[in-house]
Amino acid sequence: MNDLLFSQLSTLVAASVLLFGILLVWRRSLLAYIKVFQWQSTMLTILFAIVAYFGNDPKLYWIGVLLFFLKVIFIPRLLQRFLVQIDVEREVAPYINTATSLVLTGVMVLLAQAMTNPLIRLITLPTRNGLPFAVALIFIGLFVIITRKKAFTQVLGFLVMENGIAMLAVLGTFGIPLIVELGVFLDLLMGFLVMQVFVYQIQGTFESIDVSKLNQLRY
Amino acid sequence: MTNMMSYGLEIGQMLLALALAPGLVGLVRWLKARLQNRLGAPPWQPYLELRKWLAKDVVMSTNASWIFQATPYIVFGSTVTVTLLVPLIATPIAFDAVGDLLVVVYLLLLGTFFLALAGLDAGTAFGGMGASREMTIAAIAEPTIALSISGLAIGSGSTNLGQILTTTLTDPAAAISPSHFLAFAALFIVVLAETGRLPIDNPATHLELTMIHEAMILEYSGRYLALIEWASWTKFLLFLSLLANLFVPWGMATLVTLPTLALATAAWIGKLILLASAIALLETRVAKLRLFRVPELLSLSFVLALLAVTSSLVLK
Repeated sequence: MNDLLFSQLSTLVAASVLLFGILLVWRRSLLAYIKVFQWQSTMLTILFAIVAYFGNDPKLYWIGVLLFFLKVIFIPRLLQRFLVQIDVEREVAPYINTATSLVLTGVMVLLAQAMTNPLIRLITLPTRNGLPFAVALIFIGLFVIITRKKAFTQVLGFLVMENGIAMLAVLGTFGIPLIVELGVFLDLLMGFLVMQVFVYQIQGTFESIDVSKLNQLRY
Repeated sequence: MTNMMSYGLEIGQMLLALALAPGLVGLVRWLKARLQNRLGAPPWQPYLELRKWLAKDVVMSTNASWIFQATPYIVFGSTVTVTLLVPLIATPIAFDAVGDLLVVVYLLLLGTFFLALAGLDAGTAFGGMGASREMTIAAIAEPTIALSISGLAIGSGSTNLGQILTTTLTDPAAAISPSHFLAFAALFIVVLAETGRLPIDNPATHLELTMIHEAMILEYSGRYLALIEWASWTKFLLFLSLLANLFVPWGMATLVTLPTLALATAAWIGKLILLASAIALLETRVAKLRLFRVPELLSLSFVLALLAVTSSLVLK
């Protein structure tokens, strides 16, 4: 019964994390992207707490707390300040329009489900049913990075992809050792800060954060 | 005897749905008004509107054909039929064998289709505009409803609404499965679209640029208008009941006795009030979407419904 509850709860929360990933594809305003990311990270924290509780792994609570401070409070706040400075509000014309993007998102989730299906049949972890959602979230993050023009949105795509990787880790292995997790967080933060500097540079040079303008460098 | 009882239950739930529908819409309007710091009309205002319309004469365009006259009866009739098919307060109902979820979805679509035809029939600019918009939305919304309920149907192995409910009642763990969650999200968006609620259509205005449902029925008056509006309110109630009963079936009566039925009715009304307050809250929080964003929202719900189906297949 406990295992069943664990399985159902973790899969449900994993699905809601994915739902916010799909919402990221749908929304257009950059402020909404931050909100979506914040909610997604909150759900991810809840997932960490569920796995920590049912998997009897107290150190996961600490990782969850760390994750909460980093991804729900710190990074969104930085992003918001960032947004005020670059003064851009919307992702106007992505390479692929929203309706097609959404359909492709559906296809990517199907792909993830097809990919992880053999794995799910093989392993006996109670959290195995959430794995396709984690893989799908990685795909969606990558998709956002590829198809959106604004550098800001691409940073969000990176963060969402990182959420997907964290979810895969917690569902697949019940969390990696604390020291590795700390390394990942630090890596994420550094990567994020470096990207922020890049976006500033793009903004300073082109007076826009539209990365398609980078093509002008060829001439 | 049991036959008599179950048919009595059918008639009872039909009458109850028709009687409560105006009140539910009135409640949403009143809550919205209070949330926006307005005084608002009392929740029973729609009943007064119905009485007013029923007392008035019908004014018709000389160009209108029989479609214009038949549509109110078709819309009302198909909606009343659906009230017999959807389990509202008790779960194994007599007409479960008559129609499953596909019948329910396409009976409701029949009403929408005739409404669009009637909008075109009178030949006014607004009617045509409303009809074309409504069809744009219905074309994506209807398959999504069928798909999202199918997500649940796969879990229970039957498209029969009563069967789906019974499965969820006997296996509560299924209610927190991801396919339920995704199907609920998808169905909620579609319900907003189908009943003309806020992010898609604004039920409170006659502002020409934004209206969809109002544009189609602009030519109607008198008892025809009463029938159409009553039918669309009942549709709203039916969709909310579907949301409430399919995903949270607890509280529904499984035995037909007077105390359990009374309790089930109270639970049903409670669930409806909760959902209605959620919608009123949502409508004060969000702004109407641009018309060209609506298909995008609906394709979002279509993707969610699709995922509900595949995850119930994969995770079975």
